Amino acid sequence: MMTSISWQSVSHAGSAPLRWLAGWWRILFFGASLLVLAGSPSSYGRETRQALLRHIYVDTAPILLWFTTLSALLTLIITRIVVVTAISYGLSRFALEMVIRVLVLELIPLTAALFVALRCTIPNGAALAEMRRSGYFEQLQRAGQDPILTAVLPRALAGIYATVTLAALSCVVALVIAYFGVYGFSVAGITSYTHVFGRVFSPAVSLIFLLKTAFFSLAVSVIPMASGLYDIEGDGSRESAALQGLVRMFAVLLVLEIVSLAGNYY
Amino acid sequence: MEDPNSPVQSSEPTPRRPVQNLERKAAMLLVFTALLVAGAVLYLLFARGAFEPKQTLVLLTDNSEGVVVGMDMTFSGFPIGRVRRVELAETGNVRIIIDVPTKDARWLRTTSVFTLVKGLVGGTSIRAFSGMLTDPPLPDGAEMPVLNGDATAEMQRVLSTARDVLENISVLTAKEGDLHATLANVRELTEKLKGPRGLAGAALGSEADAQKLVTAIERANSVLARIDSIAAKTDAQVFGPDGMMKDARASVQQLNQMLGEARASLKKVDAVLTDAQGISSNVRDATVDLGALRADVDANLHKIEGMINELNRKWPFARDTEVKLP
Repeated sequence: MMTSISWQSVSHAGSAPLRWLAGWWRILFFGASLLVLAGSPSSYGRETRQALLRHIYVDTAPILLWFTTLSALLTLIITRIVVVTAISYGLSRFALEMVIRVLVLELIPLTAALFVALRCTIPNGAALAEMRRSGYFEQLQRAGQDPILTAVLPRALAGIYATVTLAALSCVVALVIAYFGVYGFSVAGITSYTHVFGRVFSPAVSLIFLLKTAFFSLAVSVIPMASGLYDIEGDGSRESAALQGLVRMFAVLLVLEIVSLAGNYY
Repeated sequence: MEDPNSPVQSSEPTPRRPVQNLERKAAMLLVFTALLVAGAVLYLLFARGAFEPKQTLVLLTDNSEGVVVGMDMTFSGFPIGRVRRVELAETGNVRIIIDVPTKDARWLRTTSVFTLVKGLVGGTSIRAFSGMLTDPPLPDGAEMPVLNGDATAEMQRVLSTARDVLENISVLTAKEGDLHATLANVRELTEKLKGPRGLAGAALGSEADAQKLVTAIERANSVLARIDSIAAKTDAQVFGPDGMMKDARASVQQLNQMLGEARASLKKVDAVLTDAQGISSNVRDATVDLGALRADVDANLHKIEGMINELNRKWPFARDTEVKLP
């Protein structure tokens, strides 16, 4: 008895890296499949379109106002801190560039992705795990519908859309708030502000920003869905799927942020 | 198609009631996002200067350290250009290619000076200076040299000098250093200054010498008092009512009078001398006659001498004229 338990433990420990790699491979494969399905016009049947529109609206609209308010508040505080600190050190001419770099380039896209993940995509992934456990997918298949197209793809695309929309809106709000935070309620600084903005967003930085936002949106949409859809690790319970999705998603977001920082500043 | 009674409803961010006009609201949301992204892209392109005509300026330098793509070129503190590319030329020089918007190119002239300044804080900056704005404008694609100014290049020399200065200060302020000895002397001097003899004691070194100095000063004071009384007496004797000055004034008057009389006497003497001059001329004439007279007298005297000699020879009781040798 003892021998069999020991062998099981060894087998489990020895296969852990392989299962970890297999889990990532499954996520990658799932993401690629979703992208292919999203790029195929035949995927958008009536049921899929309806579900997509519903998820786009439901996942994005309710959090739009709250997240905009939150990002405006965050921008105001950070702008104030940076400007006051820069002035106290006599480096006020670098304050605006620092605000744009810190907020718009780094903080806002990450915050938007995390907000969408916590508010939409992780609960969506948990819902997929619940559907799979309760046999809802089999019901759909018996009704002649593909659960991937009608249940998974709309949720994933809605997550991508929500991330992009929130990032774009909060960046615009951050730019406006940062302008007023630095120049006050005056239009005199628009020219120099635009110039600094143009200098910060060089073609390389702009490309990295777009890629980072795109990969953030993919990460927060695909990983929780994949964790909910497959038993990547754990016992397949709803909490386990949500936790796995969270951990893997945070890891990917961290890696993406590091890569983008390295691309911008090295 | 989803089962409303399934647990999905309690986990997804899905409203419990169906959304009214879902398609229209979703379409508006999509349009909003599209407008947001399009506006951001247009603003970025505008900020990058994609919609304004530009001309190229090439700056030539021997060191591009600190120059990065995207950095500004400023004129009077205003950014008027942006570095597009930095490349190495065939000659080994560095070519900094700058895009200058056409509306800002009017500040650049053929006589403009360009500098590449490496600051201590804030990195490198490219600056343009145009002294004569009436000169011809800089053509598109112009190649201009750039002057290098490196604030950090002097740092090594400044640090070396500062180290020397610190070493000197360290030597000066050492326990056995000159400054320490000087301060000790100053302390001793100030203690002497605070002593009973004060500055005199500090200057002369000993109490006895200081006492001598005080005595000398006292004696000098008494001498001065005596000189003062002598001066007062002298003043009275010289300038007083019976002083010497009054007598001197009278003497001077008498002297003036005497001089006037002497002047009159001299005039008389002058007349006498004139007469004497006439007399002397007469005498000179008479002296000429005296020459002939003297010649006659000489001739007569010779004759008389001859005659006497003849008489002496003929005279019997003549003296013996022979010379007898011993």
